[in-house]
Amino acid sequence: MPRSAYAIDVQDLGIRYNLHLTRRTTIKGSLAEWVGRRQRDEHYFWALRHVTFRIEHGESIGVLGPNGAGKSTLLLALAGILAPDEGSISVHGRVSSLLTLGAGFEMEVSGRENIALIGAFMGIRRRVMRDLTPSIIEFADIGPFIDAPVRTYSSGMRARLGFSIATAIAPDILLLDEVLGTGDEEFRTRSQQRIRDLVDRARAIVLVTHDLNSVAEYCSRSLLMEKGRVVFEGPTAEAVEFYKDRIRKRKAQVAEEAAARAAAGLPAPMSLDELTAAASEPGARDGDVLRAGSLDTLTSPGQPG
Amino acid sequence: MTTPVRAVPAVRAGDRPGLTQRPPGFRELFLQLEYVRLVRRGVQDLRTRGRLLQYLVGTDLKRTHADTVMGQVWWLIDPFFSMAIYSVLVTVVFQRSIVDAPLFLFTAILPWQWFQTSLIDATTSVTARGNLIRQIQFPKIVLPAASTLAGAITFGFGLISLAALYLLYPSHLSPWLLALPVVAAVQYVFTLALAILFSGVNTFYRDVQNLLRHVVRIWFYASPAIYSVTALQGSLFKYVLSLNPFTYLLTSYRNIAYYGTAPDWVGLLSVLLLSLVLLAFSIWVFKRIETGFAKIL
Repeated sequence: MPRSAYAIDVQDLGIRYNLHLTRRTTIKGSLAEWVGRRQRDEHYFWALRHVTFRIEHGESIGVLGPNGAGKSTLLLALAGILAPDEGSISVHGRVSSLLTLGAGFEMEVSGRENIALIGAFMGIRRRVMRDLTPSIIEFADIGPFIDAPVRTYSSGMRARLGFSIATAIAPDILLLDEVLGTGDEEFRTRSQQRIRDLVDRARAIVLVTHDLNSVAEYCSRSLLMEKGRVVFEGPTAEAVEFYKDRIRKRKAQVAEEAAARAAAGLPAPMSLDELTAAASEPGARDGDVLRAGSLDTLTSPGQPG
Repeated sequence: MTTPVRAVPAVRAGDRPGLTQRPPGFRELFLQLEYVRLVRRGVQDLRTRGRLLQYLVGTDLKRTHADTVMGQVWWLIDPFFSMAIYSVLVTVVFQRSIVDAPLFLFTAILPWQWFQTSLIDATTSVTARGNLIRQIQFPKIVLPAASTLAGAITFGFGLISLAALYLLYPSHLSPWLLALPVVAAVQYVFTLALAILFSGVNTFYRDVQNLLRHVVRIWFYASPAIYSVTALQGSLFKYVLSLNPFTYLLTSYRNIAYYGTAPDWVGLLSVLLLSLVLLAFSIWVFKRIETGFAKIL
């Protein structure tokens, strides 16, 4: 069986963050570490480890899990931005994740030049980019401002232009991180339509989400991740049940501990949200790079209540 | 965002040197091969991403002085101001009698400023693009390369002011001035090598960008810019100067543009060879640590 039977083939993937470097240490701190160190595992935080899964062509897969589970890191790895420290990833086809490009704009040059620049960063051929530019500008709907420096744009205009560039090319493999609550009502409707188009045209989709309704709508199969590992893989309905069950157990556990603490006269513990937030590690940057927008936008039409 | 389609060999952890252990017995041999492979890939990155380089250079040039009334005219004015300041310093304060001091100083200050701004800008070129690096996969080596290219173009414009200065000192013009592109090319390779190295290391240790300002300032005074090497005959400092690549570069600039004599060919060739070795080393270091950028930024 040739490998290319799979759109994505992830084997025993591990990605680690060096905690000392991510803390932006200076040379002094690093030297002090270096002098007394043997590279021990405690210096690393494994955002992902022993992750193995395959996605066939034509398949949509959901990735579920609490904050800090490594979902966004997984998308970055699939997009080729993070290299595996262990294991392997092979991807067959053009990958695209819908990112918030607005933050990467060059402020002093015009929107038009930014389109060209980002196209060049993405390695898109000049001719393709030239053909696409009019439709990118049209979709972004920023009128004569397209030839003004991006610094003069409103945040909404920047977001629209970023979205328009990011979605201009239909990828074979679409990576979605609960996009996208961009812009006003009118633009949101159009952007939802555009995402649906991309979803229809993509040969494989990886959807990362907290929204258990949208995942059921889009994906027949799902992974549930916790602390950088896949703890469940299977039909979405079962994955969702499994996840809900985990949350219920966790809540019960927290409630139990709270009761025990109260009985012992200790202060009230953190809520579940605070707990999961505390669990998300510094290196994981969950929801930072691939900004989490409102989830429901993805699932419309027929938005779940 | 979109990454170009690749005929995929799987990306494996083992492909990344420095992050995993190698079989110890073959370490030496492996390192050599790896070294060559990475340097070649770095050069390839630069060659295949010409359009990106071109856009980045254009953006860089637009960004500098974007909000100023005189805009790009500052490229001509900046070196003139430095020259005026040093002229006063050298002739009035230090009481040195240098023939046609403004031209004497300008022939060294103009290339030095090119080096200084290129290197300082390039050092932060990777960290400044953190947002993009976390979103798009592209060869990061184009960033310092674009910075230095933009610096080279600025230097080219600065030559207009040098030409203007010859209206005051026409007697210094000579055919040797035609050798200027050669000297500048050697300086460019040297600058590029340092820029690639520093921009990569600075991503992990931001100390580099702070330290660099001071180092560059000391370096300036340790180079024959506001004095000439001959003024130091009999001084031990001469030996320090002989280790400084800019001694040969600035001497060459001054020979062709001020004295009207041949550049220091031997010195230039030595600097070029050193720069090429350094460049290969820098590209290797950069390619090795490049994969970690997205995690740090």
